[in-house]
Amino acid sequence: MNTAAITHRAAGVVVGIILLAFLVGPILWLISSSFQLDRELFTVPPHIIPHEPTLDNYRYIITRVAPPTYTGETTGRRASGEALSLLPALKNSFIVSTVVMLVNLIFSTLAAYTYARLRFRGRDLTYGFILTSRLIPAISVAIPLFVLMDRLGLLDTRWALILVYVAFTLPFTMWFLMKYFGFFPPEIEEAALIDGCTRFGTLTRILVPMAAPGLAAAAAFAFMGSYSEFLFGLFLTRTMASKTAPVVLVATAINHDVSFALSFAALVLSIIPPMLFALVFRSYITRGFTGVLAR
Amino acid sequence: MVTELRLGRAAPRPGRPLGLYPYLSILPTLLVVALISVYPLLFALDLSLHRNVLTEPLAHPFVGLRNFAETFSSYYFLRSLLTTVRFTAMIILGTIAYGIGVSLFLNRPGRLAGTARLAILLPWAIPTVMAAIIWRWIFNGNFGVLNALLAWVGVIPEYITWLGNPHLAPLTLVVTHVWKWGPLAAIMCLATLQVIPRDLYEAAYIDGGGGWSTFRYITLPFLRPTILLLLVLETIAGFVTFDLIYVLTGGGPADATTMLAWFAYAEIFRFLNLGKGAALAFVIGALTLGLALIYVRLLSTEELYSS
Repeated sequence: MNTAAITHRAAGVVVGIILLAFLVGPILWLISSSFQLDRELFTVPPHIIPHEPTLDNYRYIITRVAPPTYTGETTGRRASGEALSLLPALKNSFIVSTVVMLVNLIFSTLAAYTYARLRFRGRDLTYGFILTSRLIPAISVAIPLFVLMDRLGLLDTRWALILVYVAFTLPFTMWFLMKYFGFFPPEIEEAALIDGCTRFGTLTRILVPMAAPGLAAAAAFAFMGSYSEFLFGLFLTRTMASKTAPVVLVATAINHDVSFALSFAALVLSIIPPMLFALVFRSYITRGFTGVLAR
Repeated sequence: MVTELRLGRAAPRPGRPLGLYPYLSILPTLLVVALISVYPLLFALDLSLHRNVLTEPLAHPFVGLRNFAETFSSYYFLRSLLTTVRFTAMIILGTIAYGIGVSLFLNRPGRLAGTARLAILLPWAIPTVMAAIIWRWIFNGNFGVLNALLAWVGVIPEYITWLGNPHLAPLTLVVTHVWKWGPLAAIMCLATLQVIPRDLYEAAYIDGGGGWSTFRYITLPFLRPTILLLLVLETIAGFVTFDLIYVLTGGGPADATTMLAWFAYAEIFRFLNLGKGAALAFVIGALTLGLALIYVRLLSTEELYSS
């Protein structure tokens, strides 16, 4: 190897390490912080590796019984009721996101296939309408949706969030699946159609099995989108009957009276599921993108 | 999503008539979208044409376009518009540069790049507000790790109050945004890079093409549609940014991070002026829609030439 090639390789290694540090460093720093108590967090310089590692923050959130270290003396702060309601909030988040994912898959598969293959009056108009709706900023419809949910009696229920999230995730998944379906040669379906299969039958028996990776990617987008949503979670929920994890976490994070340590442990518990989800589904997500972006 | 508001030609009709099937199949989607977008928009329009302040609950006179006029002429609107445009420009540049640069690295062989291809999914998977909480702690002026690192390296003589400085606070939003959304851009660029035929690079190598000219004349043209798509997505993202502000800066310090969506939020929930808030929200919607349509026009002519 000549010097130029060696320099090139070395540069690659340096860039790679910096990139990895930027990607993972913040997460590691959060995890490290979650194993410290407030009194250790408030030291200068900060302890990148905890000197007195403790599981008490996690213990407190999961058992909801204050460990001995959580007396006012040692933390100097009051522990927050909000952070302690993390587990019910995570439950709400999971129920809402899973239902949205399922409903979204059914609705968007049906519509995407129709737009990908069929010609009918009003096709372009309705398609444009659905896609354009995604461009409406959430803040623009916040008050009206609040009033709408109030009138429907859905305020502070998971159903309100499910309805809104389905509407906000559908245009993207529908567009994505439409592109995805479009890549399969129509000849395969034509054979089934000639054999007397209905359009619906062709979709469910032929296209859906073939498009499984695309459907998995679409499911992942719908789930992540719902799990992440904050604005409507903030407006449409009042109590733990419907508050989601982002709402609870933000409430703890911007309140200076809350134990930081407790808030970080709650945050770690909330980011583990989506990170695992992403790693498990990674091949579908990247394959889905390759399928749609690279024609 | 927004790249093609117009459809290409559909496949010809099959032998048997479709009947109502097309309409039935799109009905659920249409209904949900209409309920959650059309109704609220009409409602918001009605709100914006009336004086509607929650502290005066009984009087809602019709005021025509006065809420809009007051919004456009207000100093705060112009200022938040400017802040939004500046922020949007920074995240467009940041995210696209990150996407291209990082994807070039991810596309390399080797274990380090392989690890990075996994790690890149992590920030993407973390919800925006949660990422914002992490960065709020990193940027913490007294106990944050960023100050400690910079001071340890010797770059800064004393700790900086990142979130409390009107010049730096907008940058903290940009950094957090790029950390969270840059990975998606990189994944999208990588997906595009992976379909560039290898023999193009080999041919360029044989012809004596250097690294830069290969990038300029082979890689970049292939990335072009993806970059334009990112341009659209990031523009919309910039104009509706709310979550990051809510967690990191609360619009401050001294309104330095008060962008349009935050301004609308404050108008509604702090000053309880529903009419003006709705008018403002309408303006934001019109701006994003207008920009998106311009881009779509841009994209479709682009596709015409590239294909």
